[in-house]
Amino acid sequence: MSSNLIAEQAPAFLDSSADLEDRETRRARHRSQIIRLGSIAALVAVFAYFGVAAPGFANLGNLANIVEQSTVLALLAFSMSIVVLGGGGDVIRGGIDLSLGANLGLCAAAFTVASNAGFSDPVAVAITLAVGAAVGLVNAFAVVALGVLPLLATLAVMNICGGAELVLTQNTVISANSPLLSYITGASWLGLSMTDWILVGAAILLIALVHGTRWGLRLQAVGGQRQAARAAGLRVSAYLTGTYVAAGLLAALAAIVQAARLSGSSPGSGDILLSVVLTSLMSVVFSRRLLPSIGGTLLSVLFIGGLINGFQLLNVSSYWVNGVQGVLILFVVAVRSLSLRRGSV
Amino acid sequence: MAEPALALRDLVKTFGATRALDGANLVVERGTVHGLIGQNGAGKSTIIKILGGLYKADGGTIAINGKPLAHVSPRAIEHLGVHIIHQEALLVPTFTVAEALFLGAEPGLGPLLSPRIMRKRAEEVIGRYFDVTLPRGALIGELSPAHRQIVQITRALLNRPSVLVFDEPTAALVRREANRLFGLIRRLRDEGTSIVYISHYLEEVQDLCDRVTILRNGRDVATVDPRDTPMPQIVSLMINRDIDDMFPKVPVPIGKPALTVQGLGRRGHFSDVDFTLHEGEILGLTGLVGSGAKDVLQAIFGLEPADQGSIITHGKQGAINSPASAIRRGLGLVPEDRRGQGIALDISVRENTTLASLGKLTRFGFISRRREGKAVAGLIARLGIKTPGPDARVRDLSGGNQQKVVLAKWLSADSDIYVLDEPTVAIDVAAKVEIYRLLGDLAQRGAAVLILSSDLLELQGICDRILVMYRGHVTHQLRPAETTPEAILAAATGAAAPAEKVAA
Repeated sequence: MSSNLIAEQAPAFLDSSADLEDRETRRARHRSQIIRLGSIAALVAVFAYFGVAAPGFANLGNLANIVEQSTVLALLAFSMSIVVLGGGGDVIRGGIDLSLGANLGLCAAAFTVASNAGFSDPVAVAITLAVGAAVGLVNAFAVVALGVLPLLATLAVMNICGGAELVLTQNTVISANSPLLSYITGASWLGLSMTDWILVGAAILLIALVHGTRWGLRLQAVGGQRQAARAAGLRVSAYLTGTYVAAGLLAALAAIVQAARLSGSSPGSGDILLSVVLTSLMSVVFSRRLLPSIGGTLLSVLFIGGLINGFQLLNVSSYWVNGVQGVLILFVVAVRSLSLRRGSV
Repeated sequence: MAEPALALRDLVKTFGATRALDGANLVVERGTVHGLIGQNGAGKSTIIKILGGLYKADGGTIAINGKPLAHVSPRAIEHLGVHIIHQEALLVPTFTVAEALFLGAEPGLGPLLSPRIMRKRAEEVIGRYFDVTLPRGALIGELSPAHRQIVQITRALLNRPSVLVFDEPTAALVRREANRLFGLIRRLRDEGTSIVYISHYLEEVQDLCDRVTILRNGRDVATVDPRDTPMPQIVSLMINRDIDDMFPKVPVPIGKPALTVQGLGRRGHFSDVDFTLHEGEILGLTGLVGSGAKDVLQAIFGLEPADQGSIITHGKQGAINSPASAIRRGLGLVPEDRRGQGIALDISVRENTTLASLGKLTRFGFISRRREGKAVAGLIARLGIKTPGPDARVRDLSGGNQQKVVLAKWLSADSDIYVLDEPTVAIDVAAKVEIYRLLGDLAQRGAAVLILSSDLLELQGICDRILVMYRGHVTHQLRPAETTPEAILAAATGAAAPAEKVAA
């Protein structure tokens, strides 16, 4: 039954179609390149504009200040990017950790309360990290063991954290002071404060871990195509659990930085969540694979930080920043859906 | 005699009330290419999933190289050298070729990866088996299906498997790439690998396999040498029905003209196309890709409107410049890419069926459930759509049944001119026969059918006339009774001298 005789007899055409597919491949590649280069150009343009127009923007001290103000956001956004990488980029079913902001608040409260209760810094740090990791474990349990959608699971955990924070702090500002806290804000090395160095160190470590090791590659496989990861013999649930616990630990680290910067804990620190989601989503446009990345997240965070700082220097109302963030979210989500429409994923 | 490389015996597997496997056997001798064929639902994929450790069999044994397997898991069978190349590429779309190849066993320095070493090794191993260079630095998601498959096959070969299972490997390949794949499979066999080859394309199986096991209703009905078994015999083993039944053509009196195109043309694609399609007639249209046959079809349905000539439906003239205007004039299109254009996979059979005819079923702007239900139930029965119910998602139906839902949509819209674009691509033999029967049924009721196909046997089997296009013109009009697949092919490739001008 020689059904497709025609196809057999037309090698010339088929050859050209193979070339066409190569061209299709190149085109898809160029598209992601254009997005990436365009985004970097936009970032450079915005910074260049502020450098010229906003007095004192390009000042080294001011730039260090931007980094310092961005540290807490960056640590949380790194966590988010790791969770999204491992859980997959699907906005509804993919990985997301909405509890990061609330976890930050809870951990900051835990640190100040522990510190005020007379525990030494190392013990308080250990308690804080344990709280952060525990929250991550609860997330992981709900997502991995119970199979709840991450979006819903972490939303519930966000509420639990918020409640626990209120119980700890009675919804009040608690001030704290400890050698560690003053070291983080006070000490400096090579002109950069310890806060800056925490960000630099975390970024380097995470870039190496996520983008340079076997663990990171496999994590991306788990998020990119779970079946393929399973077929390659990877233990998917271990990787997923790992992402939420790592996110919790990073939130605890961010909480200590936050406690240092605010000299204690104050309610409302969970409000940072929207910026965390934005910067992690935005990191996609800086990546060759159109995936969240640590480096891209860092660029996004600095971009947003620079934007806020520049607006302040230009005496533009900070309300505008909200509008700009909203436009950015729309832009990033649009780019993502366009790239998905390629149909290859 | 040596132990067989792979022996699956008396496999039984039930899903709820259905018995997917009912004592199936598959014994693959060492160093042979062993075909596994059968209709959809015969149990092919169930066997593969049991072998792959994705399903657990209710009964039966699996032995690899004579050693019975107690516990079947994906890792366990890979450990024993059995690798399965699944139909849908199990590759991470955001990975580079090298990353996808080595995932799980990445070369590197301790825990650190070295992209450079990985890329070099990837090029090396791909070059060992394939005569191609994949686009450098491209991500899997950016590759063509053929290139993706090369990556997947190479990935399996990295482990030097003793048994390699191909599940429908050529579905995404064009002929030349398929031929390359066959070359590779023969080479692997000659090097001692045992191959299980699952395919819908019988001519491939006949060409490639040393033995073929035919599955029917969860049982192996025969294992034969395809080289000295005539194709009709293999087909009849598969469908338990004589091959003469494949094209149930019922003679239908040809009625009044339903669709007439005059001087139809679209710059750069085709020109001067004239033909008339009558009520009760099935008119075939064929041609190589690029001949303009597909463009004519798209022009008639208003997808890519013509810029010259006219289209007359039921004596009424008027431009067709959008699908909406085509539908208003009684046309219905069954597109080739049915998943992309023909149906909405995630909504129900009911909703898909009435999508183009909701106007008839509404009262005061609301859908009348009662009337809709009645209409849908009638169509399901009439077309013999195999669905758990009108509210089942179309995604859960087989390819042939999805195609019937597309037809049901146009039936419901009272279309009387059906335009079909490769309606039987990628569906199994039994479903094909049902589609043919359905088209005959439509013609009998006075509908006019225009079918674009590159399946020559199909054209000859079901059409009243066949128009062949070559380089943008209709060059031949053939009558099935007076032609052969070879003659159609000769016309399509330009090997036969064209008639001066064909006005059909």
